[in-house]
Amino acid sequence: MDWQLLSLSFITVFLAEIGDKSQLAAIALSGSSRSPQAVFLGTVTALVLASFVGVIIGEGVAAFLPAKLLKAGAAIGFALLALGILMKPED
Amino acid sequence: MRYTSVEFSSPKSVTVTEPLPPIPDPVDAAAIAPPKRGKTFWATCTSTFLTILLAEMGDKTQLATLLITAESHQPWIVFAGAATALIATSLVGVALGWWLARRVSPKVMDLAAAAMLMTVAVLLLWDIVGM
Repeated sequence: MDWQLLSLSFITVFLAEIGDKSQLAAIALSGSSRSPQAVFLGTVTALVLASFVGVIIGEGVAAFLPAKLLKAGAAIGFALLALGILMKPED
Repeated sequence: MRYTSVEFSSPKSVTVTEPLPPIPDPVDAAAIAPPKRGKTFWATCTSTFLTILLAEMGDKTQLATLLITAESHQPWIVFAGAATALIATSLVGVALGWWLARRVSPKVMDLAAAAMLMTVAVLLLWDIVGM
């Protein structure tokens, strides 16, 4: 087991993600949701899957993924979630 | 109907009766709550999963892991390190949101959450412009 490589990967990704978009989204979604566990499960699955794809496909990933299009889709998704929170019925 | 009764033994016996406030039936509440919560759970989980997956594809974390993999040729160790870090940052984020929701009113929390999600959307658009 290469502990140095493991800790390098951990520290790099941890520092990149602290205070980043996904974490902001996780704070907002869990704070306004009735089930923070669902937000945690969704966040972790998405992040781990994204890094799995990055590791497995390697350098090819940047070439074939339409990253701009995906990000635009995500931007629309987050905007819709924000509107959904603002317009959710009082209960 | 249920009554509480308080008895005074001296100097002469007086009985005070007062109706108890209605107690909600626990069986009824349990029968209504789970389906609603179940639906919310999976809807929340799916919308969170999809938006974050789209946002993270081709993002800097993914690029960092693929660069470390390309240099080390040990994808599983890199994946283990990255996955642990991502679980940790998600846990911190969700815990922070949960903690905040317990301290501010739901209205303020919803406004703050909507503002944060809009910020995330703008940051993503900013990323696209810079790509």
